[in-house]
Amino acid sequence: MSHFDAVAFVIVIGSFLIVTYIGFASARWRPAEDPMHLNEWGLGGRGFGTFVSWFLLGGDIYTAYTFIAVPALVYASGAVGFYALSYTIMVFPIVFIFGPRLWSVARARGYVSPGDFVRGRHGSQGLGLAVAATGILATMPYIALQLVGIEAVLTTMGIGSATGNSFVRDLPLITAFAVVAVYTYLAGLRAPALIAFVKDILIYVTVIVAIIYIPGKLGGWGHIFSASEAHLKTVNPATGKPYGSIVVMPAGQWAFATLALGSALALFVYPHAVTGVFAAKRRDVIRRQAAMLPAYSLMLGLIALFGYMARATPAVNAGVKANGGNPQLSVPLLFEHMFPSWFAGIGYSAIIIGALVPAAVMSIAAANLFTRTIYKELFSPNATPAQETRVARLASLLMKVGALGFALALNKTFSINLQLLGGIWILQTFPAVVIGLFTRWFHRIALIIGWAVGMTYGTVVAYRTPGGGQAHFGASTAPVLGHVTYIAIVALILNVAVSAVLTVVFRKIGLQDGYDETRRADYTADPVTVPAASARPRTPAVPATRPTAGADRVPGGPVPGSPAPTAHTHRGP
Amino acid sequence: MAQHARSGKSPARWGVVTVLLVVAIMGTLWVPIYARSAPKLGPFPFFYWYQLIWVPVSAVLCWICYLLLRSKPRTRGVVPR
Repeated sequence: MSHFDAVAFVIVIGSFLIVTYIGFASARWRPAEDPMHLNEWGLGGRGFGTFVSWFLLGGDIYTAYTFIAVPALVYASGAVGFYALSYTIMVFPIVFIFGPRLWSVARARGYVSPGDFVRGRHGSQGLGLAVAATGILATMPYIALQLVGIEAVLTTMGIGSATGNSFVRDLPLITAFAVVAVYTYLAGLRAPALIAFVKDILIYVTVIVAIIYIPGKLGGWGHIFSASEAHLKTVNPATGKPYGSIVVMPAGQWAFATLALGSALALFVYPHAVTGVFAAKRRDVIRRQAAMLPAYSLMLGLIALFGYMARATPAVNAGVKANGGNPQLSVPLLFEHMFPSWFAGIGYSAIIIGALVPAAVMSIAAANLFTRTIYKELFSPNATPAQETRVARLASLLMKVGALGFALALNKTFSINLQLLGGIWILQTFPAVVIGLFTRWFHRIALIIGWAVGMTYGTVVAYRTPGGGQAHFGASTAPVLGHVTYIAIVALILNVAVSAVLTVVFRKIGLQDGYDETRRADYTADPVTVPAASARPRTPAVPATRPTAGADRVPGGPVPGSPAPTAHTHRGP
Repeated sequence: MAQHARSGKSPARWGVVTVLLVVAIMGTLWVPIYARSAPKLGPFPFFYWYQLIWVPVSAVLCWICYLLLRSKPRTRGVVPR
């Protein structure tokens, strides 16, 4: 059991107070003329340049997944955990391909979420709803993963878990989350964007110090690799096979490649990553980011190696065993045993804040999605921007509560499965969102049915897969045609195949397709200047910056309460 | 005025970008290339140092693509119909 370390505790509390202050203060950063507009609360005014975007996107992408889940997998199973490095390497060339088109069409049409885009592009409210609901569902386990990360740190610090009372045990976690919920509520996307600076500084310092300092203390990399290899070769009594390998075995290569590809394709369909893209100021910012964000991939690779460092530290192995064999503790325990108290405190803070920032961005993104695509479409088509923002704020709170439930209820043996499970779901929106950016060939109803098939297949197969001591949702890979494969990829292939076949059938029988409100030029549009308060375009020349998604449904002109009576110029006659 | 991403960019330029991006993606997607422990770089098996080196390589490839496709800043933000 970990002992309570007062110095580390004070440092963690101190850094938490600092970011809390920043969170509340961020409401006054780049103040908006109209803070009660969804472009402001939900997209930070759509004015983030390269510098802020870099921190924000990095904050979105590198999360407790990076600091806790990936090293935990490396610690327990070795080379297979490095699929995450492969994934974060190939994700940026992939986003380079479709990111600029997504940004342009969203800017040109005032979309704030992937659901908005899908509804407009395919002329299908049902498909928009499906994408929105999938985004919200898939985001929840991802936020839950952040909670598991925070919990691992708190456990290592000796807070909470020692007691049998479940309320006291979860109290620190709930408190931390409540504070984030409140400043996210008030400041919107500005809060995590500013805190991301602090987070990244803490992380870079921790990782660089760790990678220089720890190997020397452990007897060098040679020893770290050989100690890990020795462990991985031993036979796991539960499965009768070795725990893993130091290099991916031929039998594991399919799983490795499909996990990497599936995760890479999925990442930028997640609502929070899309939000990060939409918040950029210029089209070129996206491409530049694709070349600059790999700095985070390098960090991820180094952090993954922490798994091996932890394995080579006997005290960490003992600590993991004492806590029921929870590999999530390997990195926090490594910090505890390798660093002096004060620096361990810095490391803990890095992990905690590194989990809170993406949790905030994810809940904002899911809230945008809910507000624009579900609330506005189904319940209140005439909602004013201020009403939208109020609903989005409430939805962001609900998302956090939902994720807290996920985190408290689910088995956490391998938290990486939470992210991979989310990936199975979110990837089923890939055809409607990403393929939809390039072609309107697919029929809207075929896409809905394909989505349903992919979702059903993915969920059923994941449910049936045992692992990590649980009967259901135990792993995210399953054997298909003799190869162990990431379920998300198989589901996506089914999804696309069904959509394609049905598209041909529906065209043959003449089933009416949806109206595409976007125009060819929207996908390459690059409006330069966007007023800070994009709700009030000064000239009709920038109708793009007005959120018009719902307005065109309202007969008789602009939405009530909409400040500028700009004509809805860009809709085809 | 449409800001066509492809306007002013020759097909050859797009071809180069496509090839560079495919190389960047396949570099780690094709696992058999690097699923081996030799040659080692110091104590690091090939599997690890290859992936770590591929991070800056793919970043450079993306940067070249960015430079090839970069658009000149414009003065007016007119969204075409």
